[in-house]
Amino acid sequence: MSLDRRSFIAGSAALAAPFALPVRVFAQEKIVRFSLPQDFTRIYTFVTSEYNQGQRDYFTLVNDRGGVSGYKIVADITDHANDLPRAIEAYERGKREGAVLIDPLSTPVARALVPRALEDKINMITAYSGRSDAADGSAFPYVLPLSINYWTQAGLIIEQFKKTEKGSLKGKKIVFVHIDTPFGKEPLPILNVLAKKEGYELTAFPYTPPGNDQSAIWPQVRRARPDFVIFWGAGVGQTVALTEAIRNGLPMDRVSGSVWLSESDMDVVGREAAKGVMKVEPCVGGREPKVIKDILAEVVGKGKGAGPENKVGTAYYNYGVQMATLMVEGVRKAAEKAPNGPVTGPWLNEGLRSITNFTAEGLLPPTTITKDDHQGGGMGRIARWDGAKFVPITDWFSANQDVVWEEIRKNSDEFKKTGK
Amino acid sequence: MFYRRAGIRHTRYQDERQLFPLGFDRGLIIVVIAILLAAPFIFDRLYVSGYLLPWLIWTSAALGLNLLMGWSGQIHLGYGAVMGIGAYGSVHLVRLGVPLEIAMIAGGLLSATIGTMFGGAALRMKGIYLAMATLAMQYVVDFVISHSSVISGGSLATLQVPPVRFLGIPLQGDLPTYYLAFGVCFVITLFMLNVRRTSFGRALAALREKDYAAQILGISTFRYKLLAFWVSSFIGGVVGSVLAVTYLRAISPDQFHIELSIQILAMIIVGGLGSVLGPFFGTALILFAPILLNNLLGFTASTLGWSLPIDLRAHLPLMAYGALVIGFLLYEPLGLAKIYANFRNYLLVWPFRHAQR
Amino acid sequence: MDWILLAELSANGVFVGLMYALVSLGIVLIYKTSGTANLAQGAIAMTGGYVTWALATLVGLPMWLAIPIALVGMFGFGLLMERIALRRMIGQPVIMTIMLTLGVEIMLRGLLPGIFGAAVKRLDIGLPQQPLFVGELLLNRSTLIGGSISLLLILLSLFFFNSRFGVVMRAVADDQTASWSVGIRVERAIAVAWGLAAVSATAAGVLWGSTQGIDWSLSLLLIKALAIAILGGLDSIPGVLVAGVIVGVAESLATGVLDPLVGGGSRDVVAAVIILVTLLLKPHGLFGRHHIERV
Repeated sequence: MSLDRRSFIAGSAALAAPFALPVRVFAQEKIVRFSLPQDFTRIYTFVTSEYNQGQRDYFTLVNDRGGVSGYKIVADITDHANDLPRAIEAYERGKREGAVLIDPLSTPVARALVPRALEDKINMITAYSGRSDAADGSAFPYVLPLSINYWTQAGLIIEQFKKTEKGSLKGKKIVFVHIDTPFGKEPLPILNVLAKKEGYELTAFPYTPPGNDQSAIWPQVRRARPDFVIFWGAGVGQTVALTEAIRNGLPMDRVSGSVWLSESDMDVVGREAAKGVMKVEPCVGGREPKVIKDILAEVVGKGKGAGPENKVGTAYYNYGVQMATLMVEGVRKAAEKAPNGPVTGPWLNEGLRSITNFTAEGLLPPTTITKDDHQGGGMGRIARWDGAKFVPITDWFSANQDVVWEEIRKNSDEFKKTGK
Repeated sequence: MFYRRAGIRHTRYQDERQLFPLGFDRGLIIVVIAILLAAPFIFDRLYVSGYLLPWLIWTSAALGLNLLMGWSGQIHLGYGAVMGIGAYGSVHLVRLGVPLEIAMIAGGLLSATIGTMFGGAALRMKGIYLAMATLAMQYVVDFVISHSSVISGGSLATLQVPPVRFLGIPLQGDLPTYYLAFGVCFVITLFMLNVRRTSFGRALAALREKDYAAQILGISTFRYKLLAFWVSSFIGGVVGSVLAVTYLRAISPDQFHIELSIQILAMIIVGGLGSVLGPFFGTALILFAPILLNNLLGFTASTLGWSLPIDLRAHLPLMAYGALVIGFLLYEPLGLAKIYANFRNYLLVWPFRHAQR
Repeated sequence: MDWILLAELSANGVFVGLMYALVSLGIVLIYKTSGTANLAQGAIAMTGGYVTWALATLVGLPMWLAIPIALVGMFGFGLLMERIALRRMIGQPVIMTIMLTLGVEIMLRGLLPGIFGAAVKRLDIGLPQQPLFVGELLLNRSTLIGGSISLLLILLSLFFFNSRFGVVMRAVADDQTASWSVGIRVERAIAVAWGLAAVSATAAGVLWGSTQGIDWSLSLLLIKALAIAILGGLDSIPGVLVAGVIVGVAESLATGVLDPLVGGGSRDVVAAVIILVTLLLKPHGLFGRHHIERV
């Protein structure tokens, strides 16, 4: 074998070159590292930049105030473009750099990361994404939705309809227009169970993802003469659904969406035309809550904002802040239990799973995460678009949790059986 | 230099005909294989399961598609669907309790059967018509997978891969999964290196150059077109099941969409159509360029303090992906393999450039 | 069976189909003159939408000015694309041009949202939203208008082929070498075809953008446009018109009839099935020329 030393070195140098990546070194201070690889470019574009901006602004606020219990928050942001190799690389990178929490904000990515996160004991936040059955903490100890899942949202909407109809939905007709993906089909089991329980008639109309053309769906919806309409999608599908609903002359005050509806959607649809439409609010919107005011004064006001100022206080921005407050509260609780760390996944997990009655100074409904309930209590409220902003029409409430938990248990048991 | 030809005298025909007549090539390959084998022990886990593992899997897939596109000249825009069929087939079998070794082969056979139907279209048309037909099939397969809950796995549409064993070794953790992917990639590479020396490989080449000329020469285009689709789809199916078992661990329909097909296509184009080495380079570039760019941008933002608007920063990798494909097609249509060959040829005769044959 | 619903779906399908056909027009123009399949047509439509939006919102031009400027600009973009990229591809295998246009599509999909932001943009060209009732039937006013505009533009392109330059393009489409030998500049004809394709894509992008908002998903118009182009025959403009209506109606009816049966949105798969069936039964489409060689 004619292999001399020089060529060996040259060859191995060439091989090693791509691996010699810059690895950031931080000064020795107490830090908690969060990894936030999210989808900025592909499917979740409609939410990610605002959501992420909210998270970063809140972390800046916390760090500028001296951190939480002496710990500084470091957040690594990358784009995984809803592409699994990139997401898994980001996950492994985060893990190597000592991240104890990951927030991928993407259902497909979260699903692929579930086995890894459980194995590596890294807390994965699956707010408004991922598996709905992850609310069962006993099956998914390291997967934390920390937010109301789609089943609860559907339950809340039905409860609100029931209130509108003075307590009974018997004989009413509810139409469910949804994107034809696993995410869109998710609420169906709950809606079907509730249909039996409440006595309403449910008709479902799926549309092809991403839903940029729904012109053939809505005439059918109109012809079904529904009492209520629930539309379930994300991004462009939502705005198109609303536009088509308006074009078909459906009464907007009987139309409701999930949490995925924001002010910028309303701009696309037309602020006036969409008046009356309802959505589920998992946290307070707008700039009124104290946390948002603080961010405006201490972060954005000082020019440290992570994005355009006019996005502060939008629905998705506040979702980001909501998640960030919960993460930070988890760190605080963890530091309370074991002040000197070491900062590991299980350490933070203990903290996150002992959050009790946390409201982030009026931003969230009272949220309690336990070892069994990762959903946080299942409280939300319904808000109505009045042409300029979403105005809450109910107080924080929780509904149909028995049905929801039955479904959660059913699926998480299945996971326990086949998964591990 | 390096690739020394001096002093190599073949005394037997077998020596002349071996895959790598130059000693240095053989040495280089042995070194690379040794590094890859030792990788889990030398490199950090991040690089093994974040870079090397997907690299090996995607390369295997690209090699399978390259057999069809580079060797036999057919166009296939639905390779992702073929891989999906293999993945779903084998995962379902594994969930039913079939051993993984058999399930992988069965997944491959299932892919091959359905993939040959794609090939059926190739008997009637070629060029862009074939491209459109395979593209349409991709959509049809996607639709069938995601709309039959029996296949896609219930209301959550995720199919968890149960803990499996391969040849008695439980596939858990980094080591066994990595070595399984390595083994499959190794076998496929070996097959691809040798296929062009068989009558099958030469028939495919004849088909690629001109199909009716091949028919006149007595090569049954009907048979070999279908066979090319069969073999390529079989490889795709096996790779799909490897992908599911070692890397994804939970499969959902959106993982095998048109994006995957285009990605693998791009790997071949960037690597070099019809080359065995090409897919290795092409996969590395297509798979890792966005990641590296992303990390680089993150690095400059956090250390140098200059940062781009988030929308632009996030979309740069996508632009780079497109630009890579365009750039290679315009400036080096034969891909990275050709660049390597140029480099090798240069060194082969260095410093006597005029001695080049 | 609810006949009124079917009638309503078909009526709306006709106009939606015409709007798809406008995207498809570009593919046919390019294939007709140069024999290349342009898989970037959807992304070019998206680009046109974005450019119009940028001119109207960022520059602040009124819509009646922004649209013509965008059309002219995109004509230049089409010429540029042909000159820089496609001309080098002459003589290369088909897969190379297919991949090149796919590469352009990927890059545009990154470039425009990257510059202008990924969130959905509103493009208001003044199409009315209120429903229009014709007896029992509800017609979607914005698709009605959009479809009519598309119809007009496609008819216009038919007339264009009777003009002097149109005859030149027909000659090039017929036989490139022969055109060359009688002194026709083949390259220029092909370049103009690309420019016109970009213009029709922009018009489609504006129309679609005003009905659905502008974001990357406009580039998904490609698959529908391909289905229409294949069904109509890749080199026939009247084919585009007829096939557009067929595809639009078929999709619309499939949503009404098939969806409840299969329990899912069958809209996209209809386009794919139309491509497959056409290619297997009548590969040259309804009006295309018979020139596919078989082995």
